[in-house]
Amino acid sequence: MNRLSASFSLTLAAIVFVALALIPVLGSGYWTGQATRYVLFGMFAMSLSLLWGRAGMLTFGHAVFFGIGGYVMATMTMGLFGDGILSELLAQPWIALPVSVGGAALAAAALGWFLFWGRGVSGAYLAIITLSVAVVVEQAVRGFYALGGDNGLVGVPALATWAADPFNPVPMFYTVLVIAAVVYVGLDRLLRSRMGALLTAVSANPDRLGHFGYSVFVVRLGAFVLGAAIAGLAGALFVATDGFASPSLIGFGLSAEVLIWVALGGRNILLAAFLGAVAVRLAESFLSGLLGDFWLLALGMVFMASVVLLPQGLIATPMLWLNNRWNQGNRSNSRDAPGPANDGMV
Amino acid sequence: MTPRSAPCISATDQMLELADIHAGYGQVPVLRGVSLVVEPGTVMGLMGRNGMGKTTLCNVCNGLLATASGSVRLDGHLVTGNPAFEIAQQGMATVPQGRDLFEDFTVDENLGLGGPVPVEIYDWFPGLVPLRNRLAGTLSGGEQQMVAIGRALARKPKVLLLDEPSEGLQPSVIHDMGAVLRRIVDDVGLTILLVEQHVELVQAVAGSVAFLADGVIAEQVPIAVLSDSLNDNEGPVHRHLSI
Amino acid sequence: MIEAFPIFLDALSFVLILVLVASGLVIVFGMMGIINLAHGELFLLGAYTVVVAQGFGAPFWLAAALAPIVVGVAGLAIEFLLVRFVVHRPLDTILATWGLSIVIKQLVVLAFGPGSHSVAVPIDGAFSVGEFSYPAYRIVLMIVATAVIAGAGYVLVGTRFGLLARAVIARPGTSASLGINTGRVTQVSFAIGAALAGLAGALVAPLISVDPQMGLGFLVPAFLAILVGGAGSMTGLVAGGGLVGGLDSVLGGWISPVLAQITVFVLAILVIRLRPGGLFPGRGRRP
Repeated sequence: MNRLSASFSLTLAAIVFVALALIPVLGSGYWTGQATRYVLFGMFAMSLSLLWGRAGMLTFGHAVFFGIGGYVMATMTMGLFGDGILSELLAQPWIALPVSVGGAALAAAALGWFLFWGRGVSGAYLAIITLSVAVVVEQAVRGFYALGGDNGLVGVPALATWAADPFNPVPMFYTVLVIAAVVYVGLDRLLRSRMGALLTAVSANPDRLGHFGYSVFVVRLGAFVLGAAIAGLAGALFVATDGFASPSLIGFGLSAEVLIWVALGGRNILLAAFLGAVAVRLAESFLSGLLGDFWLLALGMVFMASVVLLPQGLIATPMLWLNNRWNQGNRSNSRDAPGPANDGMV
Repeated sequence: MTPRSAPCISATDQMLELADIHAGYGQVPVLRGVSLVVEPGTVMGLMGRNGMGKTTLCNVCNGLLATASGSVRLDGHLVTGNPAFEIAQQGMATVPQGRDLFEDFTVDENLGLGGPVPVEIYDWFPGLVPLRNRLAGTLSGGEQQMVAIGRALARKPKVLLLDEPSEGLQPSVIHDMGAVLRRIVDDVGLTILLVEQHVELVQAVAGSVAFLADGVIAEQVPIAVLSDSLNDNEGPVHRHLSI
Repeated sequence: MIEAFPIFLDALSFVLILVLVASGLVIVFGMMGIINLAHGELFLLGAYTVVVAQGFGAPFWLAAALAPIVVGVAGLAIEFLLVRFVVHRPLDTILATWGLSIVIKQLVVLAFGPGSHSVAVPIDGAFSVGEFSYPAYRIVLMIVATAVIAGAGYVLVGTRFGLLARAVIARPGTSASLGINTGRVTQVSFAIGAALAGLAGALVAPLISVDPQMGLGFLVPAFLAILVGGAGSMTGLVAGGGLVGGLDSVLGGWISPVLAQITVFVLAILVIRLRPGGLFPGRGRRP
């Protein structure tokens, strides 16, 4: 069994998010600002866990959607669209944010339609094609003068005036944390619904799902678009936090990085993927200065070892162990407690 | 490791000896203590209903499937746990169910995969001579079965495992195949474990027959008993093969 | 007419380089089905072998002969220590080899620094006929590349080893029960693929700047060339490499190189999507 039971997962998530919420209380403003970015990367990692861990679609181009979210947000809030009143209207973050998410979703719908209709691309072919797409998109953005080319777009406005004070990152941190928690709970519930079972079926046995009258194409496309929308949301919030949209957000580099976070954390478990991103970024901020070029070497080696020896992930493996203990404890504590099978395990 | 239920004959007298084999797939046990002995130069039929583990038993013998416990001896040598290719090099050959020919390779390329093709192959299967340069995928079912058997014999094995060779073939082709197998056994003293559902083929080739049911050898009889009991509603064929 | 000739030769040499780089990948990916994202780094190791050997004063051709041996041995080690543990999990193979590519890149950065190195062109001067002249080393490279590609194709189609390799790829279980040491065949095939990548890196080194990031730039076009042509055969690769490399090179001289590469990638993805078996489906792996 490589999933967490509903009660254990909810308890663990509560602990994690409460612990994160304590960061501004216990840590400095600098760390709160950093933590905001880590949480956004964690959200990005969850969206990849949905695609890869659950629906079996290994993509090397997921940052394309993170980047599209970011660039749409940047161009709109900087007032680069339209002129006069229209431009001011489009520059409103509360309009720009949903449009960014929609933009990423739309791009994913177009790419997903192209990739998945008919017999569809999967497995290694999907990995290689998405890898090529990521390289192409990054090159296009780097060569696109209106988007700032290699330099990116500097001076992206904050989400609101209360989030604009560079010396007080706390409001933005809590905003992001609440959004991430909502996304987590929503995705977790979705995966425990019939949709979750369909996604698992798509990855395990697409042909048979087809025989049962479900459209594999629709399920794949739906997951792809949803994953991209969440990635786009994370990207849009990221540039609003950072004030900077750079081509490195949209390309192969970040796409491969998010794969490493999710693989190290645990591809099958949303919370593990989230924590994988947070943990790797945190480790990087401490160790990359200390280790220099050895940091990336160490990361590559740990990643390789984890893929070979603990394919469930370094964080998910202990989580699953605790999960089994938890469920055994629950069962022995009360006679009529539901077993794991009735406990919303999917 | 002392096999519990093996007969009290010294192990080296046997060509193929299975002792208390337990094996299965994941959590699902299929074989639950199979013990079986095949003497040199004899043909043992192995019969049983679908899903009783006949193919699983073949894959245990040739090393493609690991055993949970128990041992396989080939000509007195313990081969359990050896990689499949080593067991093949030690003298175990397999004609897998469905033949598994390399359709894109020519007949000669298929035959030669195990090693240089011995001349006897074309004596036993003269029908293959004009087909030597044809792609295996373009042959008829009977011709493909000849290639599959010839390919398995190319390494001059001690034991041949035949998994449902009659599958998908016409009665006349099955009859000819039985005659050729009998001739090969007489020519070179080959030992065969013949997994079959086709009673006539087993009668034509085998000297005795074992019935696999519920993961164990339920009964083992000389071939004469099988033939005598075909019309007997209480006989082994009815007990183990009819639904 | 005489102006078009260098463009043609540039395109041809680029195609041959691409096919040479991808020829190792055709064996490892196209035929064995192992998606090796570290192939670009094996190419990189070949180029750095030349850098190191020249540092010791070795002549270029000795260094170039050494490269496939060094990288082939590295390939054996990689197969033994990493690939065989994940080869039955194809998607994990992608990840593990991606991790490996990071490790190799960082080791090279640590050993040789992040900057670029240059390798002296071993044959100076130009080959000229009348008014027309072309760098001599490029001509030699084209001839050597053609010979290597043809040789690799012959090994796969015309030798007993090639036959065994194709058998192991098609039906590993049946091959093993015929007495073929499938693990050994896979290992040797992987090492040959690595050696070809190393040789490609060595031969191309004098024409490009050798730096730790050079692998990815060749990896993606190499994969696309294989998929466009049809995974699993050397003929498919030559066709795919011709299309991907030729178009890239010709368009690059016409519009900007970046725009050319974008166009080629997009066209290649379209072809792969519309004809999943490639333009010239071989006998090897199918999607």
